[in-house]
Amino acid sequence: MAEEVKKTPRPVDPNSAKYKLGKIASDAYVDAIEAKKQGKPVVWISSNFPVEIPETLGLATVYPENQAAGIAARGAGQRMCEVAEADGYSNDICAYARISLAYAKLRECPEQEVAMPDALLCCNNICNCMIKWYENLALDLNIPLIMLDIPFNPDYDPTPEIVEYVGAQFWDAVHQLEDIFNIKWDDEKFKEVTGFSCTASRAWLDATSEACHIPSPFNGFDLLNHMAVMVTARGKAEAGEAMNVLLKEYKENHATGKSTFREEEKYRIMFEGIACWPYLRVTSRGLRDRGINMVTTIYADAFGFDYNSFDEMIAAYCSVPNSINLEKSRDKRIKLCKANHVEGLLIHNNRSCKLWSGFMAEMGRQVGAECGIPVAHFDGDQADPRNFSEAQYNTRVEGLMEIMEANK
Amino acid sequence: MVNEIFAKFHEVATSPRAQMDKYIAEGKKVVLTAPVYTPGEIIHSMGFVPMGAWGGDVQLDKAKEYCPAFLCSIAQSILELGMDGVYDGASALVIPSLCDTLKTLGQNWKYAVKGIPFIPMTYPQNRKPDYGVKFTRAGYERVIKDLEAIGGVFDNAALAESCKIYNKHNEVMRKVDEVIAKHPEVTAVQRSDVFKSAFFMSAEEHTALVEELIAELEKTPAGEADMGIVVSGILTDAPQLNEIFDEMGMHIVADDVAAQSRQYRTDVPCGDDALQAMAEKFKAMDNCSVLYDVEKKRVQLIADTAKARGAKGVVVVMTKFCDPEEFDYPIIKRVCEAAGIPVALVEVDRQMVQFEQIRTNLETFRDMLSM
Repeated sequence: MAEEVKKTPRPVDPNSAKYKLGKIASDAYVDAIEAKKQGKPVVWISSNFPVEIPETLGLATVYPENQAAGIAARGAGQRMCEVAEADGYSNDICAYARISLAYAKLRECPEQEVAMPDALLCCNNICNCMIKWYENLALDLNIPLIMLDIPFNPDYDPTPEIVEYVGAQFWDAVHQLEDIFNIKWDDEKFKEVTGFSCTASRAWLDATSEACHIPSPFNGFDLLNHMAVMVTARGKAEAGEAMNVLLKEYKENHATGKSTFREEEKYRIMFEGIACWPYLRVTSRGLRDRGINMVTTIYADAFGFDYNSFDEMIAAYCSVPNSINLEKSRDKRIKLCKANHVEGLLIHNNRSCKLWSGFMAEMGRQVGAECGIPVAHFDGDQADPRNFSEAQYNTRVEGLMEIMEANK
Repeated sequence: MVNEIFAKFHEVATSPRAQMDKYIAEGKKVVLTAPVYTPGEIIHSMGFVPMGAWGGDVQLDKAKEYCPAFLCSIAQSILELGMDGVYDGASALVIPSLCDTLKTLGQNWKYAVKGIPFIPMTYPQNRKPDYGVKFTRAGYERVIKDLEAIGGVFDNAALAESCKIYNKHNEVMRKVDEVIAKHPEVTAVQRSDVFKSAFFMSAEEHTALVEELIAELEKTPAGEADMGIVVSGILTDAPQLNEIFDEMGMHIVADDVAAQSRQYRTDVPCGDDALQAMAEKFKAMDNCSVLYDVEKKRVQLIADTAKARGAKGVVVVMTKFCDPEEFDYPIIKRVCEAAGIPVALVEVDRQMVQFEQIRTNLETFRDMLSM
């Protein structure tokens, strides 16, 4: 595997979306650490837990998935995974979970420190692995766990029964948190937060849809960084503001013929799956050097929490990528591929994520057939560097490129 | 006599296809039930014969078109057997969404196996509150609707009757577990056959055969195992694994195995509304890696059971790539060892042909327990 050459980063314009979004993401960690110092409650929360709850209640949040991604991107994934493995955790378990459990034990990791939690907010709409991970955190840290169960939906749309079940849990979670922290729910604040969340979501959807232009006004790998804000701060006013700056920049890029994709855009692909954080630069460069722009990912759709009522909000949380059936998953990808003039699909078979990878072969075939595009798979991992081969990645990308070229 | 009964269990456990053919020849419809929990009572009450589909010890070939290598081999082999036509003749396959791999199995099944409809059973993880019970009931109603589409007829009184039959089966399975614990002459292979055959026989037939076995075993004096062990895991039916237990002189005095005792711990409560009672049963279920439990009562149950049954150690049989079990293992190890109960971990999957690593592991464990 090639050595990463570290370059001095270019200064970032403080008025740019990149700066603003980066600041929001980093401030979230700082704010939680500060809250902890002041004796205010901090919760660890899974990425698709209804953010409207902690935001309305004023709880400082830490997203362990985001932390694990950061730790992995900064090169400490294997070191932290091995801490968990030494305690008996199989190296087949999700690497985010291993990193997080290791952090809960060590309570330090210079690559991304976080505030320790007073409670855990778990939602399994992305996987049931999340339940086991948070059960163990709750046991190890001896703190309360609020579990919001959003079952995998075998049907195309959320049924009234699922919406009712999840809606009841939403209020149960609120009441549990009120009791634990002696705080009160405020309907007005909730209304305000849902407004922020919808604003941020709409701007995110609009910004990502700018990839419909040829060439795209942005490098799709930008989204992997920017989405951190959609994960951690979509219920905050500043998230919507920064996303709107992003949208404005992309529109301007299109109008002036610019792009954050620095090479000539020869091919346009959809990237499927979580990023290989330990090899973000390698995977990005493997595309960029060949003139391949990743113009869309399912993340473009995943954080589109736009709704007009409580039930619609619940339905949105029941419709995140890993909680929906193959047909709905497929149709979302087809829509993104067609809207963004995608010429190839590159699928990350993510060793850490059984659910995401489990029906990817069949879904990839169906997306490829419907869109008339080639599909290539590579093996990797979201955070454990031992499960990725740069040579295999490049070979698969090369093969995909050759077919895309032949199709021109 | 007792050997004849064990031979019958063995015959059924090792020839599920013959059992299925027998039921179909009798004019019955067979509905397959995937791990870990499915509402057998409902399926039974609607005139079908539920048969367990927990995969088989086969090499994976066709399933690889659908599954990445890191999915558990139970799910992959179910798909492989389906694609190979081994389940042909079955009327449907019910798959619960209790783990991530099972969620994907149902989705792949729809495209990989034509002719055997997939019926999803969506269980709530927050199963204890009233809203959870209501959602369990809704899940069962969905199963009923799908079973009606393939010719089943639902009737509350019939379900109540099936619940009694299944409760009786639960009772005898709990009893046979206790009895075998006190009869070290019963081998691990024989014990596995008793449990495995339950998936391939009607509850009534299996109950009758188990009662015969209990009666025969109780005619001989109870004994004490030199080396009693508790076995925990999802599936422990590999003949080679059980032969090694026997070779090592390890007697299984209790299990926490999903395909064995976990199936029979909870009865359907009494009640006029049998479907509601079924949902209440799921509410009461616990002590399993795929059922949310922040207290991890399952772990303490393993330690308590080991103590109560006089086990010298616990063997965790890990089905490779089974997340829920892999997350529980460090806690099991911690709690059992704190209670002075040694723990061994062996890893299995459905493609295993070489068990020598397990033999070495268990030999060492045996020597440790003998010290």
